[in-house]
Amino acid sequence: MTEPSSADFVVIGSGIIGCVTSLKFLQRGASVLILEAGPRVVRDEIVARFRDSPRRGDWMSPYPPAPWAPHPIYQPKDSGYLVQAGPYPYPAEYIRQVGGTTWHWAAHAWRLVPNDLRIHSLYGVGVDWPFDYEALDAHYQDAEETLGVSGAPDTGSPRSKPFPMEPVAEPWAMRRLRERLAPAYPVVTNTTARNSRSYDGRPACCGNNSCQPICPIDAQFHGGIAAAKAEAAGARLLPNANVYRIEHDASGRIVAVHYYDPQKVSHRVTGKNFILAANGIESPRLLLLSASDKYPQGLANSSGMVGRNLMDHPSTSLTFDAEEELWLGRGPQSPSSINTLRDGAFRSEHAPYRLDFTNISRIAGTTQSLIDEGVYGAEFERRLRFSAAHELNVKTVLEVLPHPENRITLSDQKDAMGIPKPQAHYSIDEYTRRAAVVANADFARIAELMGGANLRYSKEGNFANNQHICGTMSMGNDAASSVVDGFGRSHDHENLFITSTGVLPTAGTCNSTLTGLAVALRTAAHVLGDAPAPPHA
Amino acid sequence: MYDVPAPMDTNGRVDETCQAAARDDGSGSPIALPSRRTVLAGMVSVIAATLIPRASAEVAPNAGRDTFLALSAIIAGPRAVDGPLARRLFDALQEDDPSFAASAGALLDLVNEQHLDSSGLQQALDATHPELAALPRRVASAWFMGIVGKDEKARCVAYESALGSVIVADRLRPPTYAYGPYASWAAQPA
Repeated sequence: MTEPSSADFVVIGSGIIGCVTSLKFLQRGASVLILEAGPRVVRDEIVARFRDSPRRGDWMSPYPPAPWAPHPIYQPKDSGYLVQAGPYPYPAEYIRQVGGTTWHWAAHAWRLVPNDLRIHSLYGVGVDWPFDYEALDAHYQDAEETLGVSGAPDTGSPRSKPFPMEPVAEPWAMRRLRERLAPAYPVVTNTTARNSRSYDGRPACCGNNSCQPICPIDAQFHGGIAAAKAEAAGARLLPNANVYRIEHDASGRIVAVHYYDPQKVSHRVTGKNFILAANGIESPRLLLLSASDKYPQGLANSSGMVGRNLMDHPSTSLTFDAEEELWLGRGPQSPSSINTLRDGAFRSEHAPYRLDFTNISRIAGTTQSLIDEGVYGAEFERRLRFSAAHELNVKTVLEVLPHPENRITLSDQKDAMGIPKPQAHYSIDEYTRRAAVVANADFARIAELMGGANLRYSKEGNFANNQHICGTMSMGNDAASSVVDGFGRSHDHENLFITSTGVLPTAGTCNSTLTGLAVALRTAAHVLGDAPAPPHA
Repeated sequence: MYDVPAPMDTNGRVDETCQAAARDDGSGSPIALPSRRTVLAGMVSVIAATLIPRASAEVAPNAGRDTFLALSAIIAGPRAVDGPLARRLFDALQEDDPSFAASAGALLDLVNEQHLDSSGLQQALDATHPELAALPRRVASAWFMGIVGKDEKARCVAYESALGSVIVADRLRPPTYAYGPYASWAAQPA
């Protein structure tokens, strides 16, 4: 069979956003070719790899990269693919395989809160978006219905239609948190792309408690499902096609992309429109790699903003022992959180945050800790059962502001294909650090209300990363300070659209995938000529 | 049939290594609590740990594994009984480090001489026998986590039959195994 070489829409990246956006073009009869750098993967093999892994807390271990499409790996040692320029480490994780990184997400599918899109006007920090929350409502709904999102109504994000599904049943531990923290803190069931009933041919959750790194039964949505939907709708999906250059003509229109196959043979694909959907690190990398005589700074980069304003969600945490037996590990991994600190006048002073409770089984971590401590025999069993029953963990999900100096650039080092590696420049500013200090009081109060003992705070100044890569190709109305316009079109190339969490101008306090997808669906509607409303100034 | 108390989890291909361990442990259910018989067998092993003379251990055909079992009873407790899983763990430990059996013998001698038990074992080794101090952790990792070897050499020998899972099997399923029908996790653990 001859490999496809042209399409109405050439989509770079086969993750949730690229594939679900493709569905829109396919439904209008357009031809779509999706190029994916990595190979196809099969869910059952991922499950087996996880069970076989000697690193059960390393959720990348079931996703080894293909040599021709490397992605960052940190255990048992750093592969060095994402070069760290500092000053603060940014050990981002993502997956270059068909379906992309949401193979191993927690399936949080939050909407932003409306004020997240106006933080400059309201609080004098960050930037405003080129449109308001209402412009996203219908696209959020569309995305939620495609993914199958379940959620509670009272999380601060207005909606004009109900969730597709009722919230997933609350684990006992989360119920007790909700009961004991009320009324000081309302604990709500998380908004997730997880089935609370059979939905779209996939079963309800049955509590496998391995949402990360893999749901064994597809009760939660992932990019592999999106890719299968796109292919079923007629998309041609080419795996192992590592795009390394985007080609333009004399007028600046994009005419083709070039990819390497695993043998490093180069291929050229032409198209009418090009959709860049290769995540917030690989997408700016590709734009920078595509520099030409006409565009020496890289494509879509007349503003110099490609790669800049890198954002994620850093977390601090508290682990403690509750006075009653709760047994984390029953039901889904990430069921409940506190959402009342996501917005408020304090945002002029410090970052907002969500407070997120884990329901991940404590067994793997406690077992390793006890062995490290040299605890054996009957005492091991007693302490393992105690921790498994009593241990709780709550973490912050902190907003970071867009700063141009936080950025992805090209490294001097090259990957196995001879392509410059991505390099991360990252820091966490005082705005975010102040919030972490404020949140320590919430941690203490939560522990107190749970009768907590043995409080273990994350080390001061240490932040865990949440792999919510965004901001590296920001959208805005000003071509001098943004990469794409309010509809995701490159300011510099009229037929190049970017659909990615990378276009989000600010990060808010929720996982970026659903918002990235809603924004992408708004882009698709615009491209297809049925945008619901012009952007607000 | 892959026999686990997780009837809804039928989608994951189970690796041959861990599957064999699960099938072969003789309990019929790899994450069930041990029967009274197996607990008693473990207690016998604890007693045996103080009775195995080093000299005879060296000449017996299964001496290395007997020594391993005696140490296992101290380190991993009465659930660490002889059987296919014990054999697989021992073989993996020996494969990872060909001097494992000899080191285990030396450690067992020390345990017998100094009447060490699980509570003071690591501290005693750290203080006076650093050359043997890594050994209990390797045995513990094998039994409790099913993992043998370190870093790039680390490998999984057991998953759902590792004792860390077995110890809490009355309350929790190992990750990837279904807890139960939808919403069954809403009830108070009992």
